[in-house]
Amino acid sequence: MMNSTIQTNIARLQIMKAKVLAALRKGENYELKTELNSEYKERRKEAVRRVIANMTVGKDVSGLFTDVLKNMHTDDLEIKKLIYLYLINYAKTQPDLVILAINTFVKDAEDTNPLIRALAIRTMGCLHVEEVLDYLCDPLHKCLKDTNPYVRKTAVMCVAKVYDLSVDVAEDNGFVESVREALSDSNSMVVSNAVSALVEMNDMSPHHDVWRLDANTVGKLLTAINECIEWGQIAILETLVDYTPRDEKEAENICERLLPRLQHANGSVVLTTVRLLLKYEKHVHRADLLAQFSKKMVPPLITLLSSDPEIQYVALRNINIILQRHPKLLSKEIRVFFCRYNDPIYVKYEKLDVLVRICSERNTEPLLNELKEYAKEVDMDFVSRAVQAISRLAIRYETAAEKAIKVLLELLETRANHIVQSCMVALQDILRRYPRCFDSLVDGLCEYVDDVNEPEARAALIWILGEYSESVTNISNILTSFLESFLEEEDSGVQLALINAAVKFFLKSPQQGQTLVLKALQTATEKCANPDVRDRAYIYWRLLSADPNAARAVALAEKPAIELENVDLSPQLLEELVNELGCVSSVLQKPARLFVYSLAEKAGVPRDSGISAMGLDDADSVAAGAGDGAGSSSAGIDASNEGEPELLISF
Amino acid sequence: MTVDSLFILNTSGTPVIQKHWCDDVSIQRASLVVVPAFTKYLRSFAAMHDAEPVWSAPLDTVCIHIQRKELVYLGIVSQEIPPLEVLELLEGVDQALTEYIGLLSEVTIKENFTTVYQLLSEMVDSGCAVTTDTSVLRGLVPVPSLVNRVIENVSGIGIGTEKRPDVNTSSTPWRAQGIRHTNNEFFVDVVEKIDAIVNSNGSVVSYDVSGDIGCKSRLSGMPDLLLALNQPEVMDDVAFHPCVRINKWENEGVIGFVPPDGQFKLASFHVATDASPRTLPIYVHATTTRQDLARTIELSAEVGQCGGRPIEKVQVRVPLPAQAYNIRVQCKAGTYTVSNGRTSQVEWSMKTLKAGDRSSRLVIQYFVRQSAVTNAAAGNSSPQAVSSDQDMAQEAFVDFEVAGYSVSSIKVDSLKLMRESYKLFKGVRYITKAGSFQVRF
Repeated sequence: MMNSTIQTNIARLQIMKAKVLAALRKGENYELKTELNSEYKERRKEAVRRVIANMTVGKDVSGLFTDVLKNMHTDDLEIKKLIYLYLINYAKTQPDLVILAINTFVKDAEDTNPLIRALAIRTMGCLHVEEVLDYLCDPLHKCLKDTNPYVRKTAVMCVAKVYDLSVDVAEDNGFVESVREALSDSNSMVVSNAVSALVEMNDMSPHHDVWRLDANTVGKLLTAINECIEWGQIAILETLVDYTPRDEKEAENICERLLPRLQHANGSVVLTTVRLLLKYEKHVHRADLLAQFSKKMVPPLITLLSSDPEIQYVALRNINIILQRHPKLLSKEIRVFFCRYNDPIYVKYEKLDVLVRICSERNTEPLLNELKEYAKEVDMDFVSRAVQAISRLAIRYETAAEKAIKVLLELLETRANHIVQSCMVALQDILRRYPRCFDSLVDGLCEYVDDVNEPEARAALIWILGEYSESVTNISNILTSFLESFLEEEDSGVQLALINAAVKFFLKSPQQGQTLVLKALQTATEKCANPDVRDRAYIYWRLLSADPNAARAVALAEKPAIELENVDLSPQLLEELVNELGCVSSVLQKPARLFVYSLAEKAGVPRDSGISAMGLDDADSVAAGAGDGAGSSSAGIDASNEGEPELLISF
Repeated sequence: MTVDSLFILNTSGTPVIQKHWCDDVSIQRASLVVVPAFTKYLRSFAAMHDAEPVWSAPLDTVCIHIQRKELVYLGIVSQEIPPLEVLELLEGVDQALTEYIGLLSEVTIKENFTTVYQLLSEMVDSGCAVTTDTSVLRGLVPVPSLVNRVIENVSGIGIGTEKRPDVNTSSTPWRAQGIRHTNNEFFVDVVEKIDAIVNSNGSVVSYDVSGDIGCKSRLSGMPDLLLALNQPEVMDDVAFHPCVRINKWENEGVIGFVPPDGQFKLASFHVATDASPRTLPIYVHATTTRQDLARTIELSAEVGQCGGRPIEKVQVRVPLPAQAYNIRVQCKAGTYTVSNGRTSQVEWSMKTLKAGDRSSRLVIQYFVRQSAVTNAAAGNSSPQAVSSDQDMAQEAFVDFEVAGYSVSSIKVDSLKLMRESYKLFKGVRYITKAGSFQVRF
């Protein structure tokens, strides 16, 4: 009795399990299929929403194509839009089925509601399926002549899509001609879209002969631009970049008509206008006009710096380039570039760069005080860059050296580990630049012998000690103590510096230095594993034993004055970047041909052939590498890479 | 084509929504390679907001992104285009979504994804930004409202469809025809912001004033307004709403415009550096003392020059160093809160601060974790050693508002209505606020 109940229960459970499994197998798509065919409008609507939601998270809902299509004929605009979205997504994989939808499209393109007409024509273009082309021509003709500008502007954009699919269809049907005519449309939105479409087609056509700017068109565009909304203005401004004015008069005229664009809230309008002004002003020679352009450019650039940090960043990267063309442009505005505590780190780095660049001899003092404040911040990278900036200022302006050294000494007194390291290197640079000017401070630096634990800083201190050995009271002890850890030293730079210092000390005061130099050379030649260090020691040894005077001439020679490390771009690259001002290349500070695929092919830059074969892991590691490098590239311009574009290609 | 693809990611870098304007291969590349790489890049930063907004990503693409509250907006670009255009577009997307959906988060975006898609397809056509103006968008995409949803679900009738969206094609695309209001009102808000860095000795290191002229318009018909300012020459850089006739401003120094309906920003301006007298409405002084492990900061706030008006909504934020503990605060005026995140922060707020208030003081006292001090004192050179300077709070951020005061003394002289004959009620308010106002100790 018990047994049989249990058995029937088990049987029931098994049936249930089978049902559940079947349901799971059919999955959500099956359920959606039923819903899409429901007799209730609301359920169908919700089902369409769910289909699209699944599509957008990457689930495959292409199997529902016919069921979704059935719902296409609806008055509900939202559902219509969603289904069109679905069609765009799957049209390429199922071009035959799309033909089923054509009728609705053609009908919608004649709807009384301009929104639906535009939507239909836009979607047909986006489908990007050749099979649709034949059906698209008639509606497109009508829409290009539509009474409603919203429809016309959408149709104009659609022509570029047709052109992409088939140049012949676009040319033979006179669509391209219609777009050219649209440049004279009464509505500014249509004009600016026509410009965008023509530019796009020009880029696609092998000979760039779809459209050439002439003086007449430029005039028209400059009139239309006043009426355009921001995005239209940008489209038109960007087109003007490719235009070369015929004569000086025309260049002047264009510049003057561009000036009002500087007063726009959209940063991109402002920056593109600045780019155009910089380009056209090469053709202008009237000094008063040039001065006026420069004067007008400054305030909008400053205003960009009170925008969101992302915009500030792009502005700063570009200002950095503009300043290399017009070094004096912003010299009065130095305080605007002072860093704020809550600026993102990438903004701070750029500001530091600009600060050093625009600092004139007059305002070194406030800037040095400011840099001293930055050196107290928590971010160690930023601190070391701030300290570096101090030495750059001192190297550039002799009058600033004294104040810079004072600031560095004050910073040293904090004894914060990372500050001491950077300051020591900075001091070395300044002392190297102004030899024999600051002898008195060297003795004080010996206090920090135990604090310099970075190799670079240690080498810097040892260099200073060797160079100024006569001004240091217990030089012999200090160098001896350094020598004791000579072999533990991991960095050969420090070892070399120590040998040099010992030799210099000996040459300057032979009696005190004799034992020291012998010990140094002995350790280096006999025990040191590094061949460079050994060789250096041997050379000194032989030199000293053969001809001490020659050794003096070598070791204590007058050193050539150091220049500020080269932070400027090469003139050729600068020219290229000014032309592309405001564009990606000017922000990344490498020319477009290195990262835009089509341009690269044209320029014949050798490239990785295996781009598409690159696996996910590869790409990730490349990305991580680039991320690490980001800090160093924003420090300034990586001058070493300019001449060798090959190095940059596989970023 | 400006952008190839647009992604909205959550703060852990997972895509919430994506839209593409490129071919299939690029879509695959973007979602399989570029976005994962970008996510990795974002995560490589301790503080995500330190990630550079323009990043050159694998496969010849460039990732341009902004971070707003809980979302990351990412545009993927493969052409030589201006990144600012993408940044402005992403900003526009954020603003439009905020206006349509309200508080933005991964959840609300997913809930309203149909709206998001409709908006994106109106804002961007074949990769080019078309419009970001929400007054235009409202005509194209219906605003989802809770009420609409409920009615729709209950009755099965979508009311969103009954009101047919209209396309505004007039020569003033920002203003629809036939607007009617029973009361015709126009309000102007002149809001000025002071950005300043004040040094410990009270000297002003950097000082910058910028402002916005915000308007709220409830006017019928097609009004044409003329707004005159008392000293337009003080503004050395003005950016206007598209409705303003720039030529009129250039020639006559008055702002002529047909206003959009509702709230909008008429102009934003920057005050010429030599024109502003560098006056501070508020002075915050700090004295710091250290004794063994204890650190004390005494803050006091005082009214500066602000036309004799009281300062409102005063808020002084003092971020404390990481090694601070056992924080004690004494407060003689207003209220304070101490927040403990990765580092602690003291926030001191006062509703109003009047001239002559002597009692507004705050004393913060805290102790420094010993390990750090001994390290520094012994000159121990372990990488974590922190200088004695760095266990002291470095600065305070000050927020405030002064109603009825314009620091640049810009005033609206007159507002004239033309083309319409009704009587106009107008109001003007002036507010001076703190922008980024930093006081160093």
